[in-house]
Amino acid sequence: MSRYTCAWCSAQSDGTQPACPACGAQVDVRAVVSESGWTEMPPRLDMARIQLGRSSCQIEGKYVPVADLNLADGDGVYFAHHVLLWMDPTVKISVMKMAGAWKRMFAGMPLIMTQAHGPGHVAFSVDAAGEMIALPLQQGQSVDVREHMFVVATHSVAYEWFASNVWYTTGSGDDTETHYPVGMFVDRFHAKDGPGLLLLHTSGNVFVRNLAPGESILVKPGALCFKDPSVNMLLHFEYPSTPLMSWFGMSWANRYLWLRLVGPGRVAVRSAFETPEDPATSVSSSSYSTQHHW
Amino acid sequence: MTSRCPNCGSACEGSPKFCTHCGGRLGEPSPSPYEAPAVAHLTSATSMVDRAAPSGAGSMERLQCRWCDGQNPTQATTCQMCGAPLDVRDVVSDSGWREAPRLRDMTEFKFSTSTCQVEGDVVPVAEINLGTGDSVFFEHHVLLWKDDKVGLGVMALSGGIKRVLAGMPFVISVATGPGRIAFSRDQTGELVVLPLHPGMELDVREHAFLLGSQHIDYSFVQIKGLRNILFGGQGMFMDRFVTRGQSGLVILHGYGNVLERRLKAGESVILEPGAFLYKDSSVTMNVETQPLTTGWFGGVSMNLARMTGPGRVGIQSMYVHHATS
Repeated sequence: MSRYTCAWCSAQSDGTQPACPACGAQVDVRAVVSESGWTEMPPRLDMARIQLGRSSCQIEGKYVPVADLNLADGDGVYFAHHVLLWMDPTVKISVMKMAGAWKRMFAGMPLIMTQAHGPGHVAFSVDAAGEMIALPLQQGQSVDVREHMFVVATHSVAYEWFASNVWYTTGSGDDTETHYPVGMFVDRFHAKDGPGLLLLHTSGNVFVRNLAPGESILVKPGALCFKDPSVNMLLHFEYPSTPLMSWFGMSWANRYLWLRLVGPGRVAVRSAFETPEDPATSVSSSSYSTQHHW
Repeated sequence: MTSRCPNCGSACEGSPKFCTHCGGRLGEPSPSPYEAPAVAHLTSATSMVDRAAPSGAGSMERLQCRWCDGQNPTQATTCQMCGAPLDVRDVVSDSGWREAPRLRDMTEFKFSTSTCQVEGDVVPVAEINLGTGDSVFFEHHVLLWKDDKVGLGVMALSGGIKRVLAGMPFVISVATGPGRIAFSRDQTGELVVLPLHPGMELDVREHAFLLGSQHIDYSFVQIKGLRNILFGGQGMFMDRFVTRGQSGLVILHGYGNVLERRLKAGESVILEPGAFLYKDSSVTMNVETQPLTTGWFGGVSMNLARMTGPGRVGIQSMYVHHATS
């Protein structure tokens, strides 16, 4: 019997359904891959249905998609409370206990994570135009996600977070400023109790690439969406040749700040992102980084 | 034993509850997200006689728009009353939410002696070609452009001080034909065209209406209950549109995507208050507070709106999120 392998999530299906039952990607289109090796996130059919064991998820809408989950009795999901759109009265919501509340509060991350239990429908959307990314996780699989991109995850997916260790400081003394170009923390989702589903929201288009062991690529720090935990990230400073400014000792004022991602593993970037503030003052210290002067 | 999935037709070994191929429930067909447009069969005894029908035909077919119930010739591809495509199926989720019809670029439909053309799809523009003496009313911030000859005036409204205190526009502008005038709002979203028939009352989130036609009475209703005012995300008032003797038209702009659901009498759904866009006046709205405690950190309260039928409820997916208390 012929099997269809989803170009986005690699799930196997018989290919007779219009959308991959694991991630909702359209099945009757070819993968769109650039010459440089970036794979575009496949188009998603409106009302694509994703099966999650006894529960299911439908993704509705074009501009600001809605994830509409039909939770079976006993099934649950967790989410940051500000993404809740609507729910059936039968759905029960409560708070999910999390460690490190102080750190989360100081880092600007949501202090509480809310959980919903079936039976019933519960729907989520983020108040910005963009795309909903469905990431099915196989048992044992983990993914690192940029903070504030998370929408909802099934209970079989554990949620942790860790310091990004990507930072640099400018200024000195009382004027020292610490900058975190990919955020102070990174969310990590781990499917330890079985397969699960993770939904993210981002603006613009999303592209994915598999890096070979030791292969590296430079991306703008704001563009990173998610990566495999095996992918390392570090800062890279690039200083273009600016003879006139060098005479005045100001070559640091014109620099490019990059995030170097080193394989092996999968990385995803988005095409619309905010550029982190980078004051035109010299870098006084940083996490492990590389640099290049042209 | 082999079960046949009613959804995808696959054979599933054993007697599982769910299809091993598509995940659909076995034993009952999964509802299709698509519903075909209805074809209304009208007899020649009705007033809707198609004079172009072949002679001798005892009955004729008219295409009924599933969005506004307007009657159209069978060859029509868009509804003449609301612009909804008639040759595509409705998109309905498993949970019963129906997407507002996606209006085709440059779709045109009629009301009174005027026409409306919808232009663009990311931030759509409603361009009205007003017939002589026809008028539309609107909040001035949605005005995009107009012909010189289109007259502008102000609708007489009572409760001006209340409106100012509630943050609603002090004046509602009126444009009178002949001539063209165009409207748009300031965000990605969808136009929702709602023809109103006599006897209908529609409540709309404040600042969400783009325009209303002349046969519709515009007023505002005070939201009842302090909790509803403070935490309902609507402010103190909602816009109310009521038809007079004749049918009229209201066009809204919803942020993001717009979904509609019909609630049965006594049926409830719980919404993020910022997602509310419109409802029939028969639908009640009550804000409920959901406490979320976090031990040492006290906790927060999440305010959600319970909408109870009967009637239609419309929501927008890019909503105004209101801070928890």
